[in-house]
Amino acid sequence: MAEGTGRGEALSIWFFVGIMTLAYGVVLLPYGAYEWFGNHEAPTVLNNLHPTFWWGLLLFVFGLFYTLRFRPRPGDKNKA
Amino acid sequence: MGASPVSGHKGSEQTGRNGCMTLPLVASLHPTLLPAMLSTQLTHLSPVDLIILVLYFAMVIFIGFYVKGSTNTSEEFFLAGREMTAWIAGLSFVSANLGSLELMGWAGSAYQYGILAAHWYWVGAIPAMLFLGIVMMPFYYISKTHSVPGYLQLRFGEGARGLAAISFGAMTILMSGVNMYAMAVVMQTVLGWNMTVSIWVGAATVAIYVMLGGLRSAIINEVLQFILIWAGAALIPILGLIEAGGWTQLKANIATNLQSVQYTHMWSTLGHFKDNPMGINWIGIVFGLGAVISFGYWTTDFLVVQRVLSAHNLRAAKMAPVIGAAFKMAVPLIVILPGLICLGLMQNGHPLFHLVPADVAKGDPSLHSYDQVLPLMLIRYCGPGLLGLGITALVAGFMSGMAGNVSAFSTVWTYDIYGAYINKKGSDKHYVAMGRWSTVIGMVVSIGAAYILQHFASIMDYVQALFSFFIAPLFGTVILGMLWKRATSAGGFLGLLAGTVSSIGMFVYTHTGGPQALARIALSTDAQPQAENMFRALWSWLICVGVTVVVSLMTKPKPESELDGLVYGATVIPHDGATTLFQKPIFWAGVVSVGFIILQIIFW
Repeated sequence: MAEGTGRGEALSIWFFVGIMTLAYGVVLLPYGAYEWFGNHEAPTVLNNLHPTFWWGLLLFVFGLFYTLRFRPRPGDKNKA
Repeated sequence: MGASPVSGHKGSEQTGRNGCMTLPLVASLHPTLLPAMLSTQLTHLSPVDLIILVLYFAMVIFIGFYVKGSTNTSEEFFLAGREMTAWIAGLSFVSANLGSLELMGWAGSAYQYGILAAHWYWVGAIPAMLFLGIVMMPFYYISKTHSVPGYLQLRFGEGARGLAAISFGAMTILMSGVNMYAMAVVMQTVLGWNMTVSIWVGAATVAIYVMLGGLRSAIINEVLQFILIWAGAALIPILGLIEAGGWTQLKANIATNLQSVQYTHMWSTLGHFKDNPMGINWIGIVFGLGAVISFGYWTTDFLVVQRVLSAHNLRAAKMAPVIGAAFKMAVPLIVILPGLICLGLMQNGHPLFHLVPADVAKGDPSLHSYDQVLPLMLIRYCGPGLLGLGITALVAGFMSGMAGNVSAFSTVWTYDIYGAYINKKGSDKHYVAMGRWSTVIGMVVSIGAAYILQHFASIMDYVQALFSFFIAPLFGTVILGMLWKRATSAGGFLGLLAGTVSSIGMFVYTHTGGPQALARIALSTDAQPQAENMFRALWSWLICVGVTVVVSLMTKPKPESELDGLVYGATVIPHDGATTLFQKPIFWAGVVSVGFIILQIIFW
């Protein structure tokens, strides 16, 4: 169901939330992997925990779930 | 080398924060901080950070164009078609108050005052939000008003509406300018960006998406901003607690660093003004903050109430503030905790950070002020990518602050000033066009305000204070109007006027009368400026209520038939449609209340 974007629209607010976090996951996850596995960690405190990689993974999973769950479907007009 | 946190704290209350906490959760960067911040640059963005920032700008502009087709009528443009679910309205409701000014200001306050700053998120918000949802929302919603001044017009007539609309309109434009200017300063401080570019890029982006999509666009972006702020800021407390060795160890470190246990207790230090770093007592917190300022802000400030009015039915309108309250309780994790972590980090047995009041940091690039807590912690834990995410969250928060103010201004201007006094007979299409134009003109005026602030930064103090003049009395007027059938138009108007004038009078008195004046208003010679804000609000509310009651009893009331849908006792409130326990807003309000009480006990 397309919530919040207006009657007749197909994309829900939650789809936008999903797309945005997924995009950030797509950027952060490989960059975090590059830092971790390529030994290019930024000189930040606790960088040994590889926060960029894990946070990127979290955003990727969250974003993917919301994107798929609220993706536009045929005949799915706003009923918010 | 800066002053130690201990000495910094001792001197800070008098010099650094008077204007910053006038409203609940409407803290700001202190004006004297701003020139100081210009002299340093904390970090720079890498290409991956810029990608994240550009993605955000592309998304918000796209959303503006996407929803433009659904904002053709005035109800669609100004009230998002009244079709938002409880979750969307609730997240937008809480997000409208989660701007970057608040985040940075209150993180700094947590460093300055310790966990007492969390009162502005808990007792200073939760009861009021629940009260709005359960008690007040039915009246706002079934009266079908488009704004809080609109409700005042229905209940008390044109005088109260005019006073509230003009003061609110002026304040929102100024606050939009404050957000704009603060964003430019932060971007210059943290990243070295040109202020003019920041102001114009931010203003143009907000103008485009609000002009195109109205409140709908603003709400969507507020929901995105809420997610972004958590995505960008939640790592700080997580990594900070790991570094500090956990919550218990952090408390021990703070006690060692400050030679005091006052900074990690919320209530046990409020017995007397001098027992806590804020210089306030429990009466000021409970009655001034919790019962007056908080209720005034959360139940009558149209900027936040407008979000709930967009709900698609009565149950959603009642649930939205309850959902907002649940999320609000969690916000100290990303705002207060970073300030406490900064306070408790140690190196070789000594405090790691030595933040100072803004006026001390001014002109000395080696010093950092309280308000820089969040950027400092962000840089400490976040490398490329995560830093971009954090900066994007801050930018989104500033832009959301502008959008919230300018969309509320556009509504009040169009309905309660232009439509009420200038052109009463315009078509719906005409008013939508006026809404779009007033958005653009409002942003242009905000830009002007931002440039004025650039040259006269101390005005920010007074902008905050101006808001406080109206909020507490307005709550007195609205709550009497909703709950007391006998309140009359003359009583409402004169009560509001008396409360506002008395608040201004007390402000002038305490700012020119020295410590004695402060002691009289706040009832103690140990009171500090924060207490003055709380007690001034309390007195102005009492004056408003007193005048309203006396004048109402001396004037003729409206017939009860004219109060239907506006006043408790004269209105049959329709059933909200809940059929099971889990659908009832009152049940969830009870759950949130229990959580709220548990938090008070844990951090007593």
